[in-house]
Amino acid sequence: MNKSEFISLLSNHLSALPPEERNELMEDYEAHFAFGLQNGKTEEEIVRELGDPAELAQEALGNRSVPLNPLYWFGEQPQGQTSTAPPETSDIPYRKAASAIYAGLFFLNLVMLPLLAVIWAFGLALVLAAVSGMISPVFLVLEYVFNGPFLPAKAFAALTMVGIGIFLAMGSRRAFSGIIKLSASYWAWNVRVAKGVKINE
Amino acid sequence: MDISIQFKKGALEICVLVLIHEKDRYGYELAQSVSEHIEVAEGALYPLLRRLVNEGHCTTYLQESSEGPPRKYYKLTPQGEIHMKKLVIEWKRFVSNVSNLIERGNHL
Repeated sequence: MNKSEFISLLSNHLSALPPEERNELMEDYEAHFAFGLQNGKTEEEIVRELGDPAELAQEALGNRSVPLNPLYWFGEQPQGQTSTAPPETSDIPYRKAASAIYAGLFFLNLVMLPLLAVIWAFGLALVLAAVSGMISPVFLVLEYVFNGPFLPAKAFAALTMVGIGIFLAMGSRRAFSGIIKLSASYWAWNVRVAKGVKINE
Repeated sequence: MDISIQFKKGALEICVLVLIHEKDRYGYELAQSVSEHIEVAEGALYPLLRRLVNEGHCTTYLQESSEGPPRKYYKLTPQGEIHMKKLVIEWKRFVSNVSNLIERGNHL
Protein backbone atom coordinates (compact mmCIF):
# COMPACT_ATOMS: atom_id res chain seq x y z
CA MET A 1 0.00 0.00 0.00
CA ASN A 2 1.36 3.42 -0.86
CA LYS A 3 0.67 6.83 0.60
CA SER A 4 -2.33 7.80 -1.50
CA GLU A 5 -4.00 4.45 -0.93
CA PHE A 6 -3.46 4.79 2.81
CA ILE A 7 -4.72 8.36 2.89
CA SER A 8 -7.85 7.64 0.88
CA LEU A 9 -8.65 4.51 2.87
CA LEU A 10 -8.24 6.33 6.16
CA SER A 11 -10.21 9.30 4.95
CA ASN A 12 -13.04 6.97 3.91
CA HIS A 13 -13.09 5.29 7.27
CA LEU A 14 -13.16 8.66 8.98
CA SER A 15 -16.12 9.94 6.98
CA ALA A 16 -18.30 9.93 10.10
CA LEU A 17 -16.11 12.57 11.76
CA PRO A 18 -17.00 16.24 11.39
CA PRO A 19 -15.13 17.52 8.32
CA GLU A 20 -12.91 20.03 10.09
CA GLU A 21 -11.80 17.43 12.61
CA ARG A 22 -11.17 14.88 9.90
CA ASN A 23 -9.17 17.39 7.87
CA GLU A 24 -6.97 18.22 10.83
CA LEU A 25 -6.31 14.56 11.48
CA MET A 26 -5.58 13.94 7.81
CA GLU A 27 -3.14 16.85 7.87
CA ASP A 28 -1.33 15.20 10.77
CA TYR A 29 -0.90 12.04 8.71
CA GLU A 30 0.14 14.00 5.62
CA ALA A 31 2.80 15.76 7.70
CA HIS A 32 3.92 12.41 9.09
CA PHE A 33 4.48 11.18 5.54
CA ALA A 34 6.37 14.34 4.65
CA PHE A 35 8.73 13.97 7.62
CA GLY A 36 9.17 10.26 6.99
CA LEU A 37 10.03 10.75 3.33
CA GLN A 38 12.42 13.52 4.32
CA ASN A 39 14.16 11.03 6.61
CA GLY A 40 14.71 8.71 3.68
CA LYS A 41 11.93 6.23 4.28
CA THR A 42 9.76 4.87 1.49
CA GLU A 43 6.00 5.39 1.46
CA GLU A 44 5.48 1.67 2.00
CA GLU A 45 7.70 1.66 5.08
CA ILE A 46 5.84 4.60 6.57
CA VAL A 47 2.48 2.98 5.86
CA ARG A 48 3.66 -0.20 7.57
CA GLU A 49 4.78 1.73 10.64
CA LEU A 50 1.55 3.68 10.82
CA GLY A 51 -0.60 0.55 10.97
CA ASP A 52 -3.94 -0.53 9.59
CA PRO A 53 -6.10 2.44 8.48
CA ALA A 54 -9.31 0.73 9.59
CA GLU A 55 -7.96 0.22 13.09
CA LEU A 56 -6.61 3.75 13.29
CA ALA A 57 -9.99 5.09 12.23
CA GLN A 58 -11.61 2.94 14.89
CA GLU A 59 -9.28 4.58 17.38
CA ALA A 60 -10.16 8.06 16.21
CA LEU A 61 -13.89 7.37 16.13
CA GLY A 62 -13.79 5.44 19.38
CA ASN A 63 -12.18 8.37 21.11
CA ARG A 64 -15.03 10.44 19.89
CA SER A 65 -17.89 8.27 21.03
CA VAL A 66 -16.40 7.80 24.52
CA PRO A 67 -14.16 10.82 24.85
CA LEU A 68 -14.98 11.63 28.45
CA ASN A 69 -14.05 8.45 30.24
CA PRO A 70 -10.98 6.99 28.58
CA LEU A 71 -10.86 3.32 29.45
CA TYR A 72 -7.72 2.32 31.28
CA TRP A 73 -6.90 -1.31 31.52
CA PHE A 74 -5.11 -0.65 34.78
CA GLY A 75 -6.00 1.23 37.93
CA GLU A 76 -9.39 2.66 38.79
CA GLN A 77 -11.40 4.82 36.54
CA PRO A 78 -10.27 8.39 37.06
CA GLN A 79 -13.18 9.83 38.98
CA GLY A 80 -14.47 13.36 38.91
CA GLN A 81 -12.04 14.18 36.16
CA THR A 82 -12.36 17.51 34.53
CA SER A 83 -15.06 16.35 32.21
CA THR A 84 -16.41 19.39 30.48
CA ALA A 85 -19.77 17.89 29.54
CA PRO A 86 -21.96 15.05 30.79
CA PRO A 87 -21.81 11.92 28.62
CA GLU A 88 -25.41 12.23 27.44
CA THR A 89 -24.62 15.27 25.37
CA SER A 90 -21.57 13.77 23.77
CA ASP A 91 -23.44 12.13 20.91
CA ILE A 92 -25.53 15.12 19.98
CA PRO A 93 -22.99 16.54 17.52
CA TYR A 94 -23.05 13.07 16.05
CA ARG A 95 -26.77 13.06 15.48
CA LYS A 96 -26.43 16.48 13.94
CA ALA A 97 -23.72 15.21 11.64
CA ALA A 98 -25.86 12.19 10.77
CA SER A 99 -28.89 14.23 9.81
CA ALA A 100 -26.65 16.62 7.90
CA ILE A 101 -25.28 13.69 5.94
CA TYR A 102 -28.74 12.35 5.16
CA ALA A 103 -29.89 15.78 4.06
CA GLY A 104 -26.75 16.15 1.97
CA LEU A 105 -27.38 12.80 0.29
CA PHE A 106 -30.96 13.79 -0.41
CA PHE A 107 -30.02 17.00 -2.17
CA LEU A 108 -27.13 15.36 -3.96
CA ASN A 109 -29.49 12.72 -5.30
CA LEU A 110 -31.93 15.41 -6.33
CA VAL A 111 -29.25 16.45 -8.80
CA MET A 112 -27.47 13.17 -9.42
CA LEU A 113 -30.48 10.96 -10.22
CA PRO A 114 -31.71 13.13 -13.11
CA LEU A 115 -28.12 13.37 -14.31
CA LEU A 116 -27.84 9.58 -14.27
CA ALA A 117 -31.17 9.38 -16.11
CA VAL A 118 -29.77 11.70 -18.79
CA ILE A 119 -26.67 9.52 -19.12
CA TRP A 120 -28.85 6.41 -19.46
CA ALA A 121 -30.98 8.16 -22.08
CA PHE A 122 -27.83 9.04 -23.98
CA GLY A 123 -26.77 5.39 -23.94
CA LEU A 124 -30.19 4.30 -25.12
CA ALA A 125 -30.07 6.84 -27.95
CA LEU A 126 -26.70 5.46 -28.99
CA VAL A 127 -28.13 1.94 -29.16
CA LEU A 128 -31.13 3.08 -31.17
CA ALA A 129 -28.88 4.94 -33.61
CA ALA A 130 -26.74 1.83 -34.01
CA VAL A 131 -29.71 -0.43 -34.60
CA SER A 132 -31.38 1.88 -37.10
CA GLY A 133 -28.07 2.29 -38.95
CA MET A 134 -27.62 -1.45 -39.24
CA ILE A 135 -31.11 -2.14 -40.49
CA SER A 136 -31.08 0.75 -42.98
CA PRO A 137 -30.92 -1.70 -45.98
CA VAL A 138 -34.30 -3.01 -44.87
CA PHE A 139 -35.67 0.49 -45.04
CA LEU A 140 -34.06 0.88 -48.45
CA VAL A 141 -35.95 -2.20 -49.70
CA LEU A 142 -39.18 -0.94 -48.16
CA GLU A 143 -38.69 2.41 -49.82
CA TYR A 144 -38.08 0.69 -53.16
CA VAL A 145 -41.26 -1.35 -52.76
CA PHE A 146 -43.44 1.59 -51.86
CA ASN A 147 -41.88 4.55 -53.67
CA GLY A 148 -40.51 2.99 -56.84
CA PRO A 149 -37.32 4.38 -58.33
CA PHE A 150 -34.03 2.92 -57.12
CA LEU A 151 -30.96 5.14 -57.01
CA PRO A 152 -27.45 3.63 -56.55
CA ALA A 153 -26.58 6.59 -54.35
CA LYS A 154 -29.19 5.44 -51.85
CA ALA A 155 -27.69 1.96 -51.80
CA PHE A 156 -24.26 3.43 -51.03
CA ALA A 157 -25.77 5.63 -48.37
CA ALA A 158 -27.40 2.58 -46.78
CA LEU A 159 -24.10 0.72 -46.90
CA THR A 160 -22.38 3.62 -45.15
CA MET A 161 -25.13 3.67 -42.54
CA VAL A 162 -24.56 -0.02 -41.85
CA GLY A 163 -20.87 0.67 -41.29
CA ILE A 164 -21.60 3.57 -38.99
CA GLY A 165 -24.20 1.43 -37.21
CA ILE A 166 -21.65 -1.29 -36.52
CA PHE A 167 -19.21 1.22 -35.13
CA LEU A 168 -21.90 2.77 -32.96
CA ALA A 169 -22.90 -0.69 -31.72
CA MET A 170 -19.33 -1.36 -30.63
CA GLY A 171 -19.19 2.04 -28.99
CA SER A 172 -22.51 1.64 -27.25
CA ARG A 173 -21.48 -1.67 -25.74
CA ARG A 174 -18.59 0.05 -24.07
CA ALA A 175 -20.67 3.04 -23.13
CA PHE A 176 -23.25 0.78 -21.52
CA SER A 177 -20.81 -1.16 -19.42
CA GLY A 178 -19.38 2.18 -18.32
CA ILE A 179 -22.82 3.55 -17.46
CA ILE A 180 -23.74 0.43 -15.51
CA LYS A 181 -20.48 0.55 -13.60
CA LEU A 182 -20.97 4.23 -12.85
CA SER A 183 -24.52 3.70 -11.60
CA ALA A 184 -23.51 0.71 -9.49
CA SER A 185 -20.60 2.50 -7.85
CA TYR A 186 -22.69 5.59 -7.21
CA TRP A 187 -25.31 3.40 -5.55
CA ALA A 188 -22.65 1.62 -3.50
CA TRP A 189 -21.22 4.94 -2.41
CA ASN A 190 -24.65 6.11 -1.28
CA VAL A 191 -25.14 2.97 0.76
CA ARG A 192 -21.70 3.27 2.27
CA VAL A 193 -22.18 6.87 3.34
CA ALA A 194 -25.60 6.16 4.82
CA LYS A 195 -24.41 3.04 6.61
CA GLY A 196 -21.29 4.68 7.93
CA VAL A 197 -23.57 7.06 9.74
CA LYS A 198 -25.76 4.32 11.15
CA ILE A 199 -22.89 2.34 12.62
CA ASN A 200 -21.75 5.24 14.75
CA GLU A 201 -25.10 6.56 15.78
CA MET B 1 -0.58 -11.03 20.46
CA ASP B 2 -3.90 -9.25 20.80
CA ILE B 3 -3.39 -8.86 24.51
CA SER B 4 -0.01 -7.33 23.94
CA ILE B 5 -1.62 -4.76 21.62
CA GLN B 6 -4.04 -3.81 24.39
CA PHE B 7 -1.13 -3.43 26.82
CA LYS B 8 0.67 -1.15 24.45
CA LYS B 9 -2.39 0.98 23.83
CA GLY B 10 -2.77 1.51 27.53
CA ALA B 11 0.89 2.36 27.89
CA LEU B 12 0.99 4.64 24.87
CA GLU B 13 -0.67 7.53 26.64
CA ILE B 14 1.84 7.43 29.50
CA CYS B 15 4.76 7.19 27.09
CA VAL B 16 3.51 10.16 25.12
CA LEU B 17 2.86 12.26 28.20
CA VAL B 18 6.29 11.50 29.63
CA LEU B 19 7.99 12.26 26.31
CA ILE B 20 6.18 15.58 25.98
CA HIS B 21 7.02 16.34 29.59
CA GLU B 22 10.73 15.93 28.81
CA LYS B 23 10.48 18.57 26.11
CA ASP B 24 7.98 19.85 23.58
CA ARG B 25 7.85 17.50 20.63
CA TYR B 26 6.13 17.29 17.26
CA GLY B 27 4.13 14.33 16.00
CA TYR B 28 6.72 12.59 13.88
CA GLU B 29 9.39 13.01 16.54
CA LEU B 30 7.05 11.49 19.10
CA ALA B 31 6.37 8.55 16.81
CA GLN B 32 10.11 7.95 16.44
CA SER B 33 10.78 8.24 20.16
CA VAL B 34 7.93 5.91 21.09
CA SER B 35 9.02 3.35 18.50
CA GLU B 36 12.46 3.31 20.05
CA HIS B 37 10.97 1.84 23.19
CA ILE B 38 7.83 -0.04 22.24
CA GLU B 39 6.65 -1.48 18.96
CA VAL B 40 3.31 0.15 18.29
CA ALA B 41 1.22 1.31 15.32
CA GLU B 42 2.54 4.84 15.02
CA GLY B 43 -0.69 6.03 13.43
CA ALA B 44 -2.49 5.55 16.74
CA LEU B 45 -0.54 8.53 18.10
CA TYR B 46 -2.51 11.15 16.23
CA PRO B 47 -5.98 10.27 17.53
CA LEU B 48 -4.43 10.03 20.99
CA LEU B 49 -2.74 13.44 20.71
CA ARG B 50 -6.01 14.91 19.51
CA ARG B 51 -7.76 13.54 22.57
CA LEU B 52 -5.06 14.86 24.90
CA VAL B 53 -5.49 18.31 23.38
CA ASN B 54 -9.28 18.12 23.62
CA GLU B 55 -9.05 17.13 27.27
CA GLY B 56 -6.74 20.01 28.00
CA HIS B 57 -3.67 17.94 28.85
CA CYS B 58 -1.69 19.42 25.95
CA THR B 59 -1.59 22.50 23.82
CA THR B 60 -0.10 22.81 20.37
CA TYR B 61 1.86 25.44 18.52
CA LEU B 62 3.25 25.54 15.00
CA GLN B 63 6.88 26.13 14.21
CA GLU B 64 8.23 26.63 10.71
CA SER B 65 11.18 24.47 9.79
CA SER B 66 13.74 25.18 7.11
CA GLU B 67 12.83 21.95 5.37
CA GLY B 68 9.51 20.20 5.12
CA PRO B 69 6.11 21.29 6.42
CA PRO B 70 5.72 23.35 9.62
CA ARG B 71 5.96 21.26 12.74
CA LYS B 72 3.06 21.02 15.15
CA TYR B 73 4.61 20.91 18.60
CA TYR B 74 2.80 19.51 21.60
CA LYS B 75 3.29 21.08 25.02
CA LEU B 76 2.14 19.69 28.34
CA THR B 77 -0.23 21.91 30.36
CA PRO B 78 -0.06 22.02 34.17
CA GLN B 79 -3.22 19.94 34.20
CA GLY B 80 -1.54 17.47 31.84
CA GLU B 81 1.43 17.21 34.15
CA ILE B 82 -0.82 16.29 37.06
CA HIS B 83 -2.57 13.77 34.85
CA MET B 84 0.79 12.29 33.85
CA LYS B 85 1.99 11.96 37.42
CA LYS B 86 -1.24 10.28 38.41
CA LEU B 87 -0.96 7.84 35.55
CA VAL B 88 2.67 7.04 36.34
CA ILE B 89 1.85 6.32 39.98
CA GLU B 90 -1.06 4.12 38.98
CA TRP B 91 1.08 2.38 36.42
CA LYS B 92 3.84 1.60 38.91
CA ARG B 93 1.42 0.30 41.47
CA PHE B 94 -0.32 -1.83 38.88
CA VAL B 95 2.88 -3.26 37.46
CA SER B 96 4.27 -4.11 40.89
CA ASN B 97 0.99 -5.75 41.90
CA VAL B 98 0.95 -7.88 38.80
CA SER B 99 4.62 -8.78 39.20
CA ASN B 100 4.00 -9.80 42.81
CA LEU B 101 1.17 -12.00 41.70
CA ILE B 102 3.27 -13.62 39.03
CA GLU B 103 6.13 -14.13 41.47
CA ARG B 104 3.80 -15.79 43.95
CA GLY B 105 2.61 -18.09 41.17
CA ASN B 106 6.20 -19.09 40.50
CA HIS B 107 6.75 -20.19 44.10
CA LEU B 108 3.79 -22.51 44.14
